[in-house]
Amino acid sequence: MTNEITRPITEFLERVITALGINASVSTEETSDGPRLNVTGDEAELLVRHRGEPLKALQHVVDMSFGRTLPDEKRVFVDALEYRKGKDIELRQMAKFLAEKARQSGLDQQLGPLNPYERRIVHMAVAEVPGVTTESVGDAFSKTVLISLRK
Amino acid sequence: MAGVREVVEVLAKALTDRPDDVRVTESQHKHVTLIELFVSPTDIGKVIGKQGRTAAALRTLASTAGEREGKQVTLEIREGR
Repeated sequence: MTNEITRPITEFLERVITALGINASVSTEETSDGPRLNVTGDEAELLVRHRGEPLKALQHVVDMSFGRTLPDEKRVFVDALEYRKGKDIELRQMAKFLAEKARQSGLDQQLGPLNPYERRIVHMAVAEVPGVTTESVGDAFSKTVLISLRK
Repeated sequence: MAGVREVVEVLAKALTDRPDDVRVTESQHKHVTLIELFVSPTDIGKVIGKQGRTAAALRTLASTAGEREGKQVTLEIREGR
């Protein structure tokens, strides 16, 4: 099932890798949010330079090119050397840390600015901490997440 | 085959409805490598995207490919015949 969805995207990423002339390969991992395609190999480092900008660009092209081929809410995550996975884990830990701080101090905590994908991670991580609630504040692409004591 | 031209071509062919109409040229102007991407007039919106986000992504990846070859890259998107 997943293979049928990811195969064209894996093949696309392999064409990009060939065109870039880097020595790398694509591995697939299943997560609760959907498949994660990870570009591995020492030269995959090219994609995570400049704070992962090339990787973000590649994710955007994948979303635009293959987004409509995926069923319902599924999304394919493009990663390289598990860069985004590591970032996501860090963000989850930070969110939980701030949630605990909000709970103990009663003071609002703010995290951001974050993009929609990052905000979703924060909302979900804080939801696991009892007694606190989250809210996105600000406008458009640079919203921050406010973590506060549940009234 | 590897190079900036090839990277832009692979990306543009994935984004467009008419991949056969995608044509990419590369030319050198002093220190700058000019990449011209020609797509079908009906596909212009696809390669530019909302608020130019897709065009920005293409420029980022063209620069990434250029970085490997020590090239400074400029990408222009044009309407093909």
